[in-house]
Amino acid sequence: MNDRRRVNGPAEGTRRPVFACHVDTASAPTRPQRQREPKAFRKIALETGLTRSASGSSYIEVQPSPPPASYNSLIPHSSSLKLACSVHGPKPLPRSAAFSPNLVLTTHVKYATFATRKRRAHVRDASERDLGVHLETALRGAIIADRWPKSGIDVTVTILEAEDDRWWADAPDSHDASWGMMNVLAGCITAASAALADAHIDCLDLVTGGMAALVSDDENPDAPPKLVLDVDPSEHRSIVAACVVGYMPGRDEITQLWLKGDSSNAVLEDGDKRTVHEALIDGAVTAAKSVHAVLAEVVRESILAAGQ
Amino acid sequence: MSSQRQASSAAQVPHLSPAELSYLYTSLALPQNPIRPDGRSPTQFRPLSAESNILPGTNGSARIGFADGTQAIVGVKAEVERTVLISDTLDVDQDAETVEGAEESASAATGGHGSWVQMSIEIPGFRDDDALPVFLAEMLRESLVGSVGGNEDNGERHMAGGLKGRLVINKRWHWRLYIDVLLLSQPLSYPLPLLSLTTHLALLSTKLPKLKSTGEEDPFFDDDWAAAEYLYPRSSTINSNPSQQVRPPVTLLVISVGENVIFDPSREEIAVADAVLAISFTRNSDSDTGTDEPLKLLLTQRGIANSETENGNGPDSAAAAEEETPGVWRPRRGGIKRSVLAEMMKTALKKGGVGEEVLAGLEGVEVA
Amino acid sequence: MASTIPTVAIPGQILGPATFYSAGPGTHISENNVYASIAGPVIVDPAQTKTQKKSTLRVARDLLDAKRAPVQKPRFNTLPAVDSIVLARVTRVQRRQATVAILAVLDDASFDPSQYTPDNEKFASALTVAPNPESHNNTDELRFQGLIRKEDVRAVEKDRVVMEEMFRVGDIVRGSVVSMGDQSFYYITTARNDLGVIMARSDVGNMMFPASWKEMRDPVTNVAEPRKVARPL
Repeated sequence: MNDRRRVNGPAEGTRRPVFACHVDTASAPTRPQRQREPKAFRKIALETGLTRSASGSSYIEVQPSPPPASYNSLIPHSSSLKLACSVHGPKPLPRSAAFSPNLVLTTHVKYATFATRKRRAHVRDASERDLGVHLETALRGAIIADRWPKSGIDVTVTILEAEDDRWWADAPDSHDASWGMMNVLAGCITAASAALADAHIDCLDLVTGGMAALVSDDENPDAPPKLVLDVDPSEHRSIVAACVVGYMPGRDEITQLWLKGDSSNAVLEDGDKRTVHEALIDGAVTAAKSVHAVLAEVVRESILAAGQ
Repeated sequence: MSSQRQASSAAQVPHLSPAELSYLYTSLALPQNPIRPDGRSPTQFRPLSAESNILPGTNGSARIGFADGTQAIVGVKAEVERTVLISDTLDVDQDAETVEGAEESASAATGGHGSWVQMSIEIPGFRDDDALPVFLAEMLRESLVGSVGGNEDNGERHMAGGLKGRLVINKRWHWRLYIDVLLLSQPLSYPLPLLSLTTHLALLSTKLPKLKSTGEEDPFFDDDWAAAEYLYPRSSTINSNPSQQVRPPVTLLVISVGENVIFDPSREEIAVADAVLAISFTRNSDSDTGTDEPLKLLLTQRGIANSETENGNGPDSAAAAEEETPGVWRPRRGGIKRSVLAEMMKTALKKGGVGEEVLAGLEGVEVA
Repeated sequence: MASTIPTVAIPGQILGPATFYSAGPGTHISENNVYASIAGPVIVDPAQTKTQKKSTLRVARDLLDAKRAPVQKPRFNTLPAVDSIVLARVTRVQRRQATVAILAVLDDASFDPSQYTPDNEKFASALTVAPNPESHNNTDELRFQGLIRKEDVRAVEKDRVVMEEMFRVGDIVRGSVVSMGDQSFYYITTARNDLGVIMARSDVGNMMFPASWKEMRDPVTNVAEPRKVARPL
């Protein structure tokens, strides 16, 4: 897919200069270590109603993990999620569309060209469309669509900064997959849910996204992978399997589930009777529940703010 | 573009009246004993005809036709390509003093890369950048490259690192695999199982030329096609257990209606489903013969076909408040309980379950 | 019971048992409880005698909505519904019908524009600014489209209606929705005394004042133009 309308940068991206003093082995960057407990979350900042021209909007930011003490490279040690979501509508369907007694939901997810270490194109690529479908599924289960006949809403998510798929200095290995995308999806779901609440679209519950992963231990490659919530992929040598859910805590229901990876080798703690994928799903649900506490508080605050 | 997509997905939704939908839901939700419109049991698949190795110009190919007339053809082509160093990796290991760095570069060259497998799906009535084909292709590709395979200590296995590992020729060269899926008619039901089964068969029949060069030389192949090796190695010894072999993953569509878990749903059944789940799995080559889970889960996605479910509710019903009327179809709102989800996965993956049956069935096609 | 009802609700928050309350706008019922489905202040409308037994719980969209008295026919959304009064701008006049873009939905006929703050903040400017034929099409695409058929223009002498003498492009019309219509248009009627053109500009571009039920007059040039005029409030 060629973008002929713009003068684009080199397709394969460029690398910023790295000065010799940083490449010597003494100060070679070290992999960031996870400082949190396996079940602890990064802080998130969430705000609604920032885009005045949209009927609902939100902005979410995940606190980046702190750099290692001796870190002195010019390259940011890890990136963290920042994304903005806006909801337009309800508005009439395009003239060519067929009659629909329900709200027609359209989702667009787009990475900003500068969102990742490798430059993204202006045209949406397959992974962005894929994220859009996942997001649509997650929201569709929560929206009460029959309240809004003959109309449509557009949910647009712009990713300003995306999670890394792996540590930037790592070469991709056989476990490599776009793990950063799963964190991005969880953020998209939460942000879109906040924006929908801001737009006063009827929903069954505030749906939130949560992510959990099985990561294999850094020091000992033969040890069984362990379950970690809210994973920053750059902090782990390899991720074996990961799971994202769109979850409605009030109803204890899952609207969207995306589980990928090979979880066959994983072993859970003793006495845990669940299968590995059940444990992963439960982990992601726990993550979603904790995000819900933040989201509920933000939505409540926005009502009170509007009342003044 | 969005309007076009709506139009084509609307064409897929069956036009059933609320009463018909309600009847269908009730009969599918009967406890223990669901009644399906075509009389199948919950785990029974629709009859299909399959053949492989039908296209001489490809490395591997297959065709599967469902009884309702929908057919899919898959062609697999392989090309040799030079392995480029990934440009966003900082070459910390250039001076090769750090042990860790050297180790990392080795894993890059031997582990393979997910982008070496390219998948394209063509469905009549959809543009190639529409959401449905893109989404299906990503899902099938993810499960293909997601399989990491087993440990090498077990003699018979040549598939360490899964499909990606198999594509590595040496540190500087690799195979690039193009999987092209062609659906021959407008899909009558959600096309995922058909495409996945056909892809599986095509990959099973895929052969790569036998490598004559060794080590880090530029690759040089045996031009005798008869000597070519299967991409997914076959058992050469008689006593080897078929369940020990690495096999391409299969993606199945499972729906839940009430308490029941139903496989291979037709379009009408998807329309009334509470939840739709796509499960990708393959043989768990690591397990010893006696374990409980002969299959491993690679990828699940819930509600992928949700856009297909019928929400045929008049706009007036909202004003008529929230009263349930028996006999009239009311689209289900909300998500799916975790217990139901677990049950769906268990039915598909358990020993002697549907998943094993499907893999065994596909194996049979190849022998014939 | 009333003490347990929260003052402010977020989607998915439980409000009360469905056996005591019926679900109004902004709420839904699940497993015999009334839940909020939008975020906003919670309002309990006490049961009206005879017609209903249970009090109605609703979640208001904003504070103004919260102060509004309960209406007979609750609306679950902000879209035009049958019988709602709308303000619309004429975008196209044809021989058998006029096409309009709906600018605002008013809740009922007893509407006071001075208290009204619609969601769209540009509402006031949309009313007063003369349509620019070059650019206004874009914004009208984002508005709900309405259709005034020839027979819905006025209640009497329906067969003598000439559309060009009733509406001109750019007029602001007050109408009442008669039907949800087809996939793209709401059907709107002006066949009442209080419905019809409320704002219009003359050929030379001056704002006109209503002179009679079928005429508006330019205050500068004193030229009269035919319109289906709404009775001034």
